[in-house]
Amino acid sequence: MTRMAAYEEREGKKDIAISGYFRGDYISLQLLKSAIYATVGFALAVAMYVLYNIETFLEDFYKMDFVDFLKGILSKYCLVLSVYLVISYFVYSYRYKKAKHHVKQYNQLLKALMHMINIDRKGR
Amino acid sequence: MESLLVIKQQLTSFYTRFEAYIVPVLKFLAMLIALLFINGSVGFMTKLKNPAIVLILALLCSFLPVNVIVLVAGLVIVAHMYALSLECAVVILFIFIIMYALYFRFTPDDAIAVLLTPVFFAMHIPYVMPLAMGFVGSPVSCISVGCGTAVYYILHFISGHQDALGGGGLGDLDVEEMLGGFKTVTDGILKNDAMIAMIVTFAVTIIVVYLIRRLKINYSWQIALGAGMIVCFVVLLISSAVLDADIGIGGAILGLIVSSLLVLVLQFFIFNVDYSRSEYVQFEDDEYYYYVKAVPKVTLDAPQGRRKRKNTRRSREDYYDDDEDDY
Repeated sequence: MTRMAAYEEREGKKDIAISGYFRGDYISLQLLKSAIYATVGFALAVAMYVLYNIETFLEDFYKMDFVDFLKGILSKYCLVLSVYLVISYFVYSYRYKKAKHHVKQYNQLLKALMHMINIDRKGR
Repeated sequence: MESLLVIKQQLTSFYTRFEAYIVPVLKFLAMLIALLFINGSVGFMTKLKNPAIVLILALLCSFLPVNVIVLVAGLVIVAHMYALSLECAVVILFIFIIMYALYFRFTPDDAIAVLLTPVFFAMHIPYVMPLAMGFVGSPVSCISVGCGTAVYYILHFISGHQDALGGGGLGDLDVEEMLGGFKTVTDGILKNDAMIAMIVTFAVTIIVVYLIRRLKINYSWQIALGAGMIVCFVVLLISSAVLDADIGIGGAILGLIVSSLLVLVLQFFIFNVDYSRSEYVQFEDDEYYYYVKAVPKVTLDAPQGRRKRKNTRRSREDYYDDDEDDY
């Protein structure tokens, strides 16, 4: 009972929340969040790159092919986003599977506890 | 050994009894040490170095979640950087946001590793973190330890080049000088070979320790520690040679030995089992048959201090408690 209470108090809260979702819904939601984080991180990295090379940009401002430059940025963004999403997919699939497994074990222990309580009541 | 077990049991029961008070105190101490380290290395804003402010911040953080503590520590660093120069503050803020986005997505529970890694670096025993996180964490812990390592090297670089980087805040706004400063800071931080060598070494060490300690073999934790030490040293040698990084090998050996001793103490508290009394049990539920190897924990019977010798068959409930780690 102590262990069940400890689980309920700590990891249980997260696990129960996760297992409330369907697998597809949970992973989609997490992938969406990951995409937002990756976009913010990539935007900041691009901003740093532009600031770092600002002198070159200003010098070649009129010679630059902006379409080509944007294409380069976009292809790198797609690459970063894909890698980040693939990693996120594996991580969150694993977390979902584990949360479900833990909640299942917890429910089995709850059943066992209920069974013990019932036996105790009948004994009285 | 028995006296050590008595101490362990007393500490455990003390912690269990006063957990509500001990956790805030530990958070307070962690934040206090982190703030003292930050102020000692990059304390450019005199207001934030005021002991009263340090104490108030540490006290405030003792009641906050660890993730927020990391955020507060990051903001303190950015404030110090702003006092040094605006370009430093901008670069550090950008890098911190990128790191926070990366780390917070995957390892929000490892926030303490981000905070403690720079502190252990300052104590010259950084190897504690990859070894310990290999035992208590998971492979993704290399993100939080990597972030902590990057923070240490950023602070180290800034404190070593403060004269060259100091350009004042918004008061002395000279765009050309600022852009030059921006380039210097970015180069100094991102082209730091020692930092890259350390991040690679720590990541490999965490993964190796994690994989070995999860093996179903006797003494896996002890083997993992030994293998972790060797791998850490070898990868450090290789990566520092490949990247031409300036890392002291003598200091690394000494640091590794001290770190492994500290990790042994940690092992004693979190994984102290008696393999000689291992037993194999079988049971089933509605859906599965379970073939379980049960290794009893070394515990004390009673306050008299007698070590448990009797074999007890593990119940199904015990099996359920031995679970995989979080990813």
